[in-house]
Parts: sequence; C-alpha cells; structure tokens
Amino acid sequence: MDRRKMLALLGISPALAAGTSAFARTAPLAAPDAAGCGSEGLVSVLNPGIETKLANRVPLAPRLATLQGKTIYVVDFDWGGMQQNGDVLHEMQRWFAQHMPSVKTIYKIKSGNFVTDDPALWKEIADNHGDAVIIGVAG
Amino acid sequence: MSREAGEIERKYQIPTVALAGDNVVSFGLGAYFKYDSGMPLRFVGVPFPFAGQPEAVAAKFVAGKDMVSGKPFMQAVVDALTSPLTPEEKLSGPAPGAAAAEPRMLPPDTPDNLQRLFMARHWTDYNPVILPTEEKVAAMLKGTSRQPDEIIKSGSGTFGARRPFTVEKVATVAVMAGAKPEYLPVILALSTRVPYMDSTTSIAQMIVVNGPIRNKIGMNSGLGALGPDNEANSVIGRSMTLIHKAIQGYNEGVTGFASLSNPLRYDNLCFAENEESLPQGWRPLHVQMGHKPSDNIVTIFTGWNFINSTGWAAQHYAPQLLMRDYMASLSGMGATIIMDPSVAELLKGAQGFGSKEALGKWLSENVEKPAASYWGNSIVASMLAPLARQGLKPYADWLTVPGDTLIKPFAAGNGINTVVAGGKTASVWFATDFRPEGGTSIDEWA
Repeated sequence: MDRRKMLALLGISPALAAGTSAFARTAPLAAPDAAGCGSEGLVSVLNPGIETKLANRVPLAPRLATLQGKTIYVVDFDWGGMQQNGDVLHEMQRWFAQHMPSVKTIYKIKSGNFVTDDPALWKEIADNHGDAVIIGVAG
Repeated sequence: MSREAGEIERKYQIPTVALAGDNVVSFGLGAYFKYDSGMPLRFVGVPFPFAGQPEAVAAKFVAGKDMVSGKPFMQAVVDALTSPLTPEEKLSGPAPGAAAAEPRMLPPDTPDNLQRLFMARHWTDYNPVILPTEEKVAAMLKGTSRQPDEIIKSGSGTFGARRPFTVEKVATVAVMAGAKPEYLPVILALSTRVPYMDSTTSIAQMIVVNGPIRNKIGMNSGLGALGPDNEANSVIGRSMTLIHKAIQGYNEGVTGFASLSNPLRYDNLCFAENEESLPQGWRPLHVQMGHKPSDNIVTIFTGWNFINSTGWAAQHYAPQLLMRDYMASLSGMGATIIMDPSVAELLKGAQGFGSKEALGKWLSENVEKPAASYWGNSIVASMLAPLARQGLKPYADWLTVPGDTLIKPFAAGNGINTVVAGGKTASVWFATDFRPEGGTSIDEWA
C-alpha cells in the first residue's frame, strides 16, 4: 500500500502530515500540471512557513551550594509602573527574614521602565558581591 | 525581564530566578528560550493578576504554590538558586536537534486539505485563502523588480527571532490574501516592518497609504474608506495580518498572548488618505513627515483605541470641542484623528485651523483629564511612571499632584496627527490613540 492510501485510511492528509518533521522532506507524490493541479486533482503550492532558527544555547550560572549567609538582590522590574510588584517582593523579603535570617536581602527598583535595560544596576550588584538575584514580576 | 535575568546570569555569572505571572511564563520557558535567548532560565510563577492586589493577596501568593513547579513558592525560589544545574542547563553552543524544516513547496494535496493545513499551521486569519500555486506566485512577483530570493529581513520573529524571509515568501502570502500584483510593492514595504508590535493588551495596527500609488492601484480614500468596500484596502490590510501570522510567526498562546486581542487585526484599518480633498494648507501625512508629494509611502500606526464621533458635526458645538472631549478618554501617549473631508473643511473654514498642525496644537493645549485617570492607564503607568519617579518632566509633576488635578496629557510633546479620508456624505470622524511608526517607501519595492 502506498503512503498516500495509507494516510487516507488513517484520515490524515499528506500535507498535514508534512507539518511534522518526519514528513517534512517527503517528495511530491503527483507531478503538478501547469496550473498547479496534478492528475489526481491535487494542488502543488508554495510553503508560506518559515523555519525559525534555534538560538545558540547559553548555560546558566553555577548555582550556590546554600543561601545561608548570602546576599540576594531582590530587583523590582516595575512592570505596571506603579511599584505594585513591591508587595510580592517585600513579602519574599519577609519570608527570608523569618525563615532564613542569615540571608541578607536588598531591594532595588530597576531604572528606566520595563522595556529598558539597566546595565548599571547589574554591575552594581556584581561589584557589591551580590550572590543571587530575584527579579520580577513580569506579567 | 527574561533579557535582564539572562544578562545577569551570562555576564556576571550570578544565579538568578525570574518571577512571572502564569499568563506569560510559558513564553519565557518556551518560544523565548528556544528561539531568542537559548538560556533555560529558571522561573517561578505567581497567579495572574498579581499587580494591584491587596498586600494580603501578595502574602497568600508567597505562602502558596509556585505555578511552574507546583512546589511551595519559596521552596521553589530557594531551589532555583541552589539546586545544581542539569546537563540541559549547562549546554552551550548550537542547540541540539534542528528547527522544523520548511521546504519551498508543500507536498501536493487537495485544495480542502491544504486549506485545513494552512489553518492548522496558523498561517491564516481563518478565512479561506487563495492557494499559492507556483503560477500564481510567479504572476504576483511581476509586481516587483526585486529578485524572488532576495532576503528582506532576518530577524522577523517576536523579539527578533531569526526567521529570514524572502521576496518570494511575501509574494506567497500576498497571493494567499487575494492580492493583485500591483499591490505587491505596498505589501513588501509592509513586510519590512516586522516584527509588528504585540502585547498581552489589545494592541492593533493601522495602515495609511499616501502618494500617487493610492489611485494607481485603486485604493479607496473616499466613500466607505474604512469599511469592507474596496478590494485594495481590504486585501492589503489582510496581507499584513497574514504576514504577522506566516512570516512573523505569531501564534496566540505560543509566541503571543493578547488576552482579548483586537478585531482591527483582521485588516489593520487599511486605507488611503484623501489627499485630493485636503483643505488648502493641510498637507498629506507623508509630506508632513518630510517626503515629497510624489513619493509613495505606507505608514503603520500602532494603538488601541478607536472612538467614533457617532453623529455628524453639530452647528452648536464645533468639531474640535467634541474631539477634545472624546480625546480625554485616550491614554495621552499619542493620537490620530481620522476625519471626513467635510470635517476638515469646517475646521479650516469655520474654525480657522489653517493646517493639521494648528489643530494638533489646539487639541494638545485643550485636552485635559484628571491626573489619577491618566496614571490609571497601565500603558501610561508602565512606560512613564518609572521615568516620572526618576524626575522626567512633566510626568514627575503629574505624579505628585492630587489625583483630581486636571493635566494636559498631550502637552508633553506627544504628537496629535490628522488623516483625512471619507466621502463627504457625513461630517464624521474618529479619535484614536494610534501613533505612526514612521513612513516606509513603497517605491523601493516597485
């Protein structure tokens, strides 16, 4: 049984199957005529799809063995602009104070707005030997 | 935020955990990681909405579960900063595997199956498309002198993900939308502006065409200009939607998360300016931007709101007064008035506005709204409140005044634009918050 008949029995169209990588390079099964229609009433069309290139992988920074005695910067990303993320972030600071009192947390609001970068703050955190960062909250 | 978290991890090697609402965390973990950053950031998720909640709710979130892992929230935070990296998280260089290949031609199939495929791949607006046979695409390509294999842009995906596309790819989409070859230069010019702006809000785009090409290709700037009454307007507008889907790769729930989205996205408010009906002294949009009248320019606007004048201009209340009143509902971050030529005539003749710029200046000096209402708009608050706290005038002043103080939101240098279109059967207009992104030459793509 050829592949087209098999797919038809399964209720799968060859073109839909081509959407999966396994069938992506399957050769046309019917030669289209000049109008794009094959002898079986099939149509041959250009593919509007575009391959999205995979990004090169970038490793995460090594993790800490423990948070005990460490300094964590809690960075308010200021999404929404009215410092409303502060409630969640301050609550997290309170949790550390209560449950892991040896952890020092420092609250910072990112400068600019939520679409701008703040490289000066990232450098400040590094220069001040910040051990870890919590940044949020995006919505 | 993923970008910032990634920079802290990559540049300074500081372990970071990113907090996000469960409305967008899947984007950070999914498409953004796979196609943009390549960094498998560690996220902890809070329920959405989190902003604007009482403090007690924030405490409840922190005492609750992480929306990503299901662990207790703070345990998830601690684990994100301390649990050793997995082999996956240590990877560097080319990503394993390969992106799904997209051959130039699809396997032959029946028209019905292909229509279903195009919908399943999110390449359409879910209306039927014209199937892009080689013959139809070749005919479409006669509308430009550009080579089919010319790459127009590489970073066409959301946040600039690498999705290189060619002239032939745009011609393919133009066929799908139902375009004629003579529309192709406009559609190619539109394609150069991808990625189009997206948002979880109901953002939308508007297309305005200026120059002689409007009439040459039969665009409508007159009677029914904004309605479904003209082939060129309709099809060029639809082409932008299909470019957004097929070329940019917009896929609701995967690469985009517009909660309500916007019906304007079906055809992107595509029309031409009625340059022939502008009152003396009122320059066409593209000439205002510094182009020659003979240049063919397409301008994409981005905005949210579209307020109808409802009735025609009344004799006892001048048009600019009602525009002023309605515009108080807009965010204040920019505006465009779309008006019938008869409104322009009234504003010029009876009201003495000698130019579009004069009208814009009057409106900027007269539109007022309470400061609290101004800051109540989350786009304004997100973009400008942080800058206000950092001292940027006049926003810094507006942030500190009592909430009921009337401010002039357009007096901060935010442009108010005017575009004239319509058939002079009623003196109607729309007040919108659409802002132009700069004109794009159509002639370069002829």
